[in-house]
Amino acid sequence: MNYKTLSIITFLIFNFIPFSEAQNAETLLQNMDKLMSAPKDRVATVEMTVTNKFEDEKVREAILKQKGTDRKMYRYTKPEKKAGIATLSLPDDIMWLYMPSFGKPIKISLLSKSQAFTGTDFSYEDMSGIPYSERYIPKLLNPDTPNTYMLELTPRTNKTTYSKIVISIDKTHYYPVKMAFFDLDKNYEKLATYKYAKKGNYWYAQEVIMEDLQKSHSTKIVMKDIKFDQGLKDEEFEVEKLISN
Amino acid sequence: MSLNSKKISNKIVSFRWITIFLVILSTCFFGFQLTKLTIDADIIKSLPDDDKNAKLLKHISKNFGGNSMGVIILETDNIYQTKVLEHVRLLTDSLSKIDGIASVSSLTNIINIKGSEYGIEVGRLVDEFELPTSPEQFEVLRNNILSNDMYKGSIVSEDETSTLIIFNLEDEAIVNAVAKNVLKTTETLNLPETLYYTGSPMLVTYISELMKNDLTRLLPLAFLVIAIILYFSFKTILGVLLPLLTAVISIVWSLGLMAILGFSMSMISNNIPIILLAIGSAYAIHVINRINQIHDQNKTDIVQTALAYVLIPVILASITTMIGFVSFIFGAYLEMIVDFGIFTALGTLFACILSIFFVPAIMSFKKSASKVKTSKNVLLTSYFLEPLNSILLKYPKRILTMWMLLIAISIFGLFSIKRSVDIQEYFKHDNPTRLAEKIMIDKFGGTKPVFVLFKGNMQSPEVLKTMKKTADYMEESPDIYTSMSIADLISELNFAITGNRDIPEDPEQIEQLWFLLDGNETLERFVSDDLDEGIIISKFKSPDNQSKKVFSDYMNAFIEENSTEKCQIEITGMPFVDITMDQSLINSQMGSISIAIIFVIFIVGLILRSLKSGIYAAIPIVAAIIILFGVMGLTGISLNIATVLVASVALGIGIDYSIHIISHFNHVFKDTQNFKIAIKESILVSGNAIIINVIAVSAGFLMLVFSDMVPLQYFGLLIAISMVSSGLGAITLLPAILILVNKKSLNQNSNEL
Repeated sequence: MNYKTLSIITFLIFNFIPFSEAQNAETLLQNMDKLMSAPKDRVATVEMTVTNKFEDEKVREAILKQKGTDRKMYRYTKPEKKAGIATLSLPDDIMWLYMPSFGKPIKISLLSKSQAFTGTDFSYEDMSGIPYSERYIPKLLNPDTPNTYMLELTPRTNKTTYSKIVISIDKTHYYPVKMAFFDLDKNYEKLATYKYAKKGNYWYAQEVIMEDLQKSHSTKIVMKDIKFDQGLKDEEFEVEKLISN
Repeated sequence: MSLNSKKISNKIVSFRWITIFLVILSTCFFGFQLTKLTIDADIIKSLPDDDKNAKLLKHISKNFGGNSMGVIILETDNIYQTKVLEHVRLLTDSLSKIDGIASVSSLTNIINIKGSEYGIEVGRLVDEFELPTSPEQFEVLRNNILSNDMYKGSIVSEDETSTLIIFNLEDEAIVNAVAKNVLKTTETLNLPETLYYTGSPMLVTYISELMKNDLTRLLPLAFLVIAIILYFSFKTILGVLLPLLTAVISIVWSLGLMAILGFSMSMISNNIPIILLAIGSAYAIHVINRINQIHDQNKTDIVQTALAYVLIPVILASITTMIGFVSFIFGAYLEMIVDFGIFTALGTLFACILSIFFVPAIMSFKKSASKVKTSKNVLLTSYFLEPLNSILLKYPKRILTMWMLLIAISIFGLFSIKRSVDIQEYFKHDNPTRLAEKIMIDKFGGTKPVFVLFKGNMQSPEVLKTMKKTADYMEESPDIYTSMSIADLISELNFAITGNRDIPEDPEQIEQLWFLLDGNETLERFVSDDLDEGIIISKFKSPDNQSKKVFSDYMNAFIEENSTEKCQIEITGMPFVDITMDQSLINSQMGSISIAIIFVIFIVGLILRSLKSGIYAAIPIVAAIIILFGVMGLTGISLNIATVLVASVALGIGIDYSIHIISHFNHVFKDTQNFKIAIKESILVSGNAIIINVIAVSAGFLMLVFSDMVPLQYFGLLIAISMVSSGLGAITLLPAILILVNKKSLNQNSNEL
């Protein structure tokens, strides 16, 4: 093997490896997105438990109806005082809020994505329906653990409140196991821990715990009585439905 | 008495080794405890629990975090510039990262909820990703701020030159560490705008730093000055070392005891070392002075003999000084003053014990045959004390008249004494904290927090309406610029949704509006977790006490009329605490002085077995106190939490001079039955010690003039004035009175002589 051939092989090896890794990382993230958005629609009872630094808990319950990734309606059933309040999230960060005692839906323009989603530790950015692969550039981190891949996501745009997210993805099923969120100063800010379960053909996050490490605050979301592919129509997500349902 | 004293004195000298061993052991023990002594300059913690206003203020500080809020004022030519907003954002982000800071709010991260034609907009006043750049965008921002009552004048000043970055500390945060970190972090940013720091955590830390600075700077200075004076007075190494050692050991013991008992150094007890250095050395000075005097008489058992003479006056002097300090327990409003009184009294006790056990123990090692330099200050005696003695004997009436004239002038000044409880007066005029306070008063409606507490269901329309009505009523006061409460948030939300700024009539509507606020950190500042308590937060502008009283009456009348069982209203805050503190200054002053004078007359009378002696001893010090108040009135030095201590401290220390003169007089008169000799001896011997003492003590206290804290400067100056006047009183006024009341005996003596 002459010097030229050796150089070409070396060049190919060193350039092919990052390329294939990038390819892998992209594919892994897309697989994760695909798994998360696999059902056409879903209906479930969502229990949200917010725990503050004094370990005081506040529990809320809502019926969730979701179509695709960007149409979601939460109708609160507990606590009793908040029963009937409903939120409707639509594409392009549009949100409608219905408070029965005011009798009319109110459109809310969310100008701040870092704001907490209805008093939980999830921000509106965390609840976004836009796939991760569209919002972040993934990079495969080594070493992996025996059961998970580690991906480091860096934002494609500067309109985000995170500098990076480190995700552990299950090697077999591609669902996220953990997501570590880093703020714009690269400080470890939040940790989401997922428990996935399978129902029918779909994997779904049966339990998600989001811990705000800086505020010693956490929110647990548990999905109950989940049903997939119920044939929900777009009309179910019209503003009028906030009242009529 | 003399015989008993002699026996005791012999015992003291015979147990000298045990004494020295115990002193060394105790000093090591208490010295080790000193490492645990902490500094706490938080005035709120020192407020008494039995005072309604203070109790409520502590309750609010604890439950709503009112006492853990720090403020940075950013001042520039115009806030509405992109680079300025960038710096505000940089500050906000930098503060958020500091350990112990729970939340930061500023122009760049405040959430703004406002109504729009199609619903409501929930966002930030300033876009989190794109700061305004064009004049139009700044105009929108300006209008958003001006249209919201909650932001107007509370986040950006109306002249648009200053903005506030407000941070709240976590409950378990170490205040000093966080505040220092805030200073360090913001200074590293090296911003072109001027930054000022205020709010309780910054103020408390700043005062703690001043206290530390004072201690490390002034204590060695006082030490040095007293050492020099002692050297010139005694001209022996022991004469310098022993009084200072006595003082230092008593300081170590009392501060060590403070640490063991879990007390912190406050801005009042910070004075303890200097006070003890001054008075702790005084007892030793008297003992050494008498030992030297006996030595001059070539007697045997010098130490024992001297101690027998000086034992009673020293014990008596320390008891009276302790009474002066202990008198603060009665009538003092702030707990820090009570703590100061107790530990300074204990320090005095330690200094007394050391002077009568430790000093003679050390002095007894000096062999009587060895040459001890004479203490008699020839210059002082021949040029001052001897002529003074002659003048006193010749013109006692003139001396008395001069004193009466001085007292009359002082009484005239006494009526002009001002009182001040404003903490800002602790700082010099050019101090950055004082400048920050000025900006807060001029541009943000003051710094003195006012809280109105509501007990009831915070989601009930009635309670919220009463809150709003109270806030509106409060804001009509010229000293209240703006206020904030949950009622404001609810009415703003209602306005955003319905266009109506009233509190909704329907409780359900309120509960549902609450949904929008859930999880918002600011809620913790306005309502309790159980939603059974809520507060209106406001600031009071005027530092003037009369304005505070007017406001208090104005608000109390409203509260009486509007407080119901379902909505109980109470008001508190620094203006209310200031009113009580101001009143307590007079009560405390009158209380402590009366108690001290009565006890002093009683104790001196009892030990000298003559009530008349007790009353005579009190005359010079009462005169000195009147002069002290006269000076305060005529020079405009106000009565504040530091200067209120002066009279009792001066009484406690100053009475010693009279005691030494009277007991010396009694002693000599008993021995000689010659009035003239008794007067002469008292003036020449005790007068000598008194003058050394006055100079040493005054010089020590005068070091406080270099303190960074203004009331302490006055404290030092006033004590020095009191020491000089009570010392002069003891060697001029008291002998003049003694001469005049014993004129008959004096004439007899003259004839005999």
